[in-house]
Amino acid sequence: MTLQDAKKGALLAKLAPSVAAFVDELLPGGDGWPSGATIGVQFPLVERLIEQNGEQALMALAETLDRIGAPFDGMDPDARVEAVKSMEANEPARFGWLRDAAFQAYYESPIVVTLIDAAGTPYKILPHVSGYDLPRFDRATQTPRHNRGRYIPTDQVAPVDTSGLNLDTVKTDKWGLQR
Amino acid sequence: MTADKERDVLVIGSGATGALSTMVLAQAGLDVLCLEQGGWVEKNEFAHTHTNWAWQRATNWNPDITRRDHPDDYMMGTDSSQPLMWNAVGGSTNAYGAIWPRYRPSDFRKGDEHGMQPNWPIAYEDVAPFYERVDAILGTSGLTGDPAMPPRPECPTGPLPFTKAAKKLSEGFDKLGWHWWPAEAGVISEDYDGRPACNNCGLCNGCPRGSMSIYSQSVWPKALEAGAELQTHARVLKILTGPDGRATGARWKNRVTGEIVETKAKIVIVAANGVGTPRLLLASGIGNSSDMVGRNLLHHTLVSAQIWVDEQVDGQMGYVASVLGREFAETDTSRGFVNGFNFNCTTSAPSAGEMATGWMSGTKAPWGKDHHTWMEKRFGHSIGLFAIGDDLPNPENRVYLDPTETDEDGIPVVKMHYEPGENDKRMMNYMLDRLQDLGEACGAFDIQLNDYRDADGVYRTPAWHMIGTCRMGDDPATSVVNGWHQSWDVPNMFIVDGSVLATGGVVNPTPTISALALRAAEYIRDNFVDLTTTERTLAA
Ligand SMILES: Cc1cc2nc3c(=O)[nH]c(=O)nc-3n(C[C@H](O)[C@H](O)[C@H](O)COP(=O)(O)OP(=O)(O)OC[C@H]3O[C@@H](n4cnc5c(N)ncnc54)[C@H](O)[C@@H]3O)c2cc1C
Ligand code: SF4
Repeated sequence: MTLQDAKKGALLAKLAPSVAAFVDELLPGGDGWPSGATIGVQFPLVERLIEQNGEQALMALAETLDRIGAPFDGMDPDARVEAVKSMEANEPARFGWLRDAAFQAYYESPIVVTLIDAAGTPYKILPHVSGYDLPRFDRATQTPRHNRGRYIPTDQVAPVDTSGLNLDTVKTDKWGLQR
Repeated sequence: MTADKERDVLVIGSGATGALSTMVLAQAGLDVLCLEQGGWVEKNEFAHTHTNWAWQRATNWNPDITRRDHPDDYMMGTDSSQPLMWNAVGGSTNAYGAIWPRYRPSDFRKGDEHGMQPNWPIAYEDVAPFYERVDAILGTSGLTGDPAMPPRPECPTGPLPFTKAAKKLSEGFDKLGWHWWPAEAGVISEDYDGRPACNNCGLCNGCPRGSMSIYSQSVWPKALEAGAELQTHARVLKILTGPDGRATGARWKNRVTGEIVETKAKIVIVAANGVGTPRLLLASGIGNSSDMVGRNLLHHTLVSAQIWVDEQVDGQMGYVASVLGREFAETDTSRGFVNGFNFNCTTSAPSAGEMATGWMSGTKAPWGKDHHTWMEKRFGHSIGLFAIGDDLPNPENRVYLDPTETDEDGIPVVKMHYEPGENDKRMMNYMLDRLQDLGEACGAFDIQLNDYRDADGVYRTPAWHMIGTCRMGDDPATSVVNGWHQSWDVPNMFIVDGSVLATGGVVNPTPTISALALRAAEYIRDNFVDLTTTERTLAA
């Protein structure tokens, strides 16, 4: 076994606790919510990472988690958070993918779905299969009575005055959120 | 190469418009073959019935053709818009939302109104009866009596439930004194034509139970029953023409066997959508004497907002669209631009995972200790708003073929470029301000706007509407087809998909696209004998 193989082996050996610890930093438990690792978020996370990015993504993940000290043994809670923040700052694309995939896996867990529903927000694991009950439209009370709105019939479409628009000469440089 | 027997009509593409055309012509007793590059989507292949449905919607069911890896897709590149479509029997309706508003009369008369867009060769009144007929075929839902639209008969089924999100929005619109109306939908609120009523699940990107009209379930059974033939996994490589300029049929590849087949036909109907149709025409080198094939791509001006309110509005439940607002639908040049826009208000993300990962506005839940508090405050409290307007045509906004790169069949890779113009930018600025007004009028505690520009400022709109790329007109120099969808250059070739729309209106286009396809198919049916020999296309 080469030195490189040995290093790889060591990283992979601690991958399972490392991913679990990382997931628990993203989605800690508390106030009645299970932590991410408790409900197994790490398993679909790793599978999907490989499905989307290929087998080499596993080693890359192991190296990234190693760089931030996962599985964080002996680190206090603040230091763990700082470690994850450093990954967020230094590897934003990879971190963003992992965070989003962890969130998705967490909220598709039947356990979490049931907890959301029990807490008062109607929510189902397979809504398309069983549907949600909603009252039928009530024409008597829900038909709009505002009488607002108009349209221009075909024979009344008339030229509008565009002379003040100066679309060719006045350019809008700041548009969208920069407006 | 295998030679196939001659058909009366060959239809290319089995989406919304290919399905309707095939049905009408088969019901008339014609021998119709439809070639579709994709396959049937079985009910359990949709994401909806799997526990990981939200993940699938972002990955293998991602409607962006450039962000999934599906064998039924052709290769495509874009430097701007996100091209959204689905390639299978039923086409993009397998993934669509079926928001079902109609065009307005002025949408057909922009040439008269300000001249920066063409007049259509037809008017609203020509299309109106076909809107009704399509609604009856599909089953739609909605409420009549909207003062902002021409009168219309009742929808086949009544309005869908008026959700808490719709109620909240209606209060905001009322506060501002703006028009609103319950959204029309290509969805049935009661059992209809053997399909079950909507169950309010909220997963409206396609609908395997069939409450939404996906055309593989609503139209294709009728077409097949009438004797039409549908060949799946059949990608058309070239439309063939004879020395007289008439189409003689098509060369296609059986994607299962690899066999290349040539099918002859008296009439060829192209229904491959706003990208697939210009791709095929350009690859075949036909129909483009105007140089307008692929040009004038329209998507609509589109911006959006996600708002969060204190009350529980449970936007995870219910059909995707809640109310439409038509206050700004007509031109008012005092706003600083021509044309108008609509508010398409939705309910919200049906999935907590989608909410946490930035649904609509890109605002994501924090990770760490504040995560659960954020979600408790926001899931069930969010509403999504789109503002969607009529963009001006620009020949440089287009679908074109890459000069060097080809796909596995030797067809040049299709590319897309789209950039909003001056009028569009002004309109989008105005729309964003009005979305902010609406969010405030609804009492939102947070309003996040989205202009769909990336970090480099490029407008990357989710382009679920890809229209205008083979537009109809009454001048062969500036349009690709006449008012009956007949190619100016190839008189027995008809283009019936969304690419023929000359303007985009302020709404989702499929009701109009479908009504036009039905009208065109009936024209072909009623003039079939003449069209089998005609050598010239005349203005309609
Ligand atoms: C995510 C999403 C949401 C949408 N929501 C709405 C909405 O709420 N309301 C609305 O009005 N519209 C909506 N739309 C738009 C709507 O789906 C389209 O307007 C409609 O499907 C267009 O019909 P079409 O026949 O032009 O094309 P399509 O339905 O796209 O069908 C084209 C077909 O042609 C086939 N094809 C292409 N090239 C070839 C070839 N060379 N050989 C063989 N076959 C070929 C394709 O595989 C495809 O099946 C949405 C679209 C998407 C993607
Ligand atoms: S809400 Fe209705 S239309 Fe939408 S997917 Fe569910 S059942 Fe289908």
